[in-house]
Amino acid sequence: MTAQGPILVAYVGVSNARRVALVAAKQQIPNPIQVRALVDTGASGTCVDPSILKTLSLTPTGSATVNTPSTGSTPHTADQYDVSIIVPGAGPTHAPLNVPNLPVICADLLPQGFHALIGRDILSLCLLSYNGTTSLFTLAY
Amino acid sequence: MALEKELTVYKQKLPELKGQEGKFALIHGDDFIDTFGSYEDAMKEGYSKFGVNDPFLVKQIQAIEQVQFISRFVEPCELRRSV
Repeated sequence: MTAQGPILVAYVGVSNARRVALVAAKQQIPNPIQVRALVDTGASGTCVDPSILKTLSLTPTGSATVNTPSTGSTPHTADQYDVSIIVPGAGPTHAPLNVPNLPVICADLLPQGFHALIGRDILSLCLLSYNGTTSLFTLAY
Repeated sequence: MALEKELTVYKQKLPELKGQEGKFALIHGDDFIDTFGSYEDAMKEGYSKFGVNDPFLVKQIQAIEQVQFISRFVEPCELRRSV
């Protein structure tokens, strides 16, 4: 647990679908990028900072209607990108949480000190335990 | 703006797609390609047909678009007001 809340290390890479296409085109596959990700039960979808998406040389493949405190009462349309997300296991013998094809919303997050929000789309695959008394959280899958 | 043409095609096609709610539409430029049972299948077909440099749209078919909620104060990228 950090001052920003439940932060974990994850890796954001190109989606499996895109990886297959890059191989077929004999193009280099960008390495997954290590990110600081905030586990956010208040986000219905996972979000990633544009700096990460740019480093992976991605362009939008979707769009989502989004409502945030900054958009007020009128939903806005945001670009979505297809990525893969891996959350490493707790140790070398623990299998990672691997989401190979995930549409993520592009959102400016870096000013808040992290690169991604882990939203309820990924959390629907997990059991999240938040212990405020010990400042620990567990993400089980 | 990215994928505006494809989004226009999706909205025009939506009345015909009511029986396929929940499936994923693949659209490229002015062309509605097909619908797929999963996001992964639609993405695979999109990349297979159009490669890694040619934009395409994969959108889940919803008669009423589900709004994504983010409770934090963040700015979605390339935001524009919904019509």
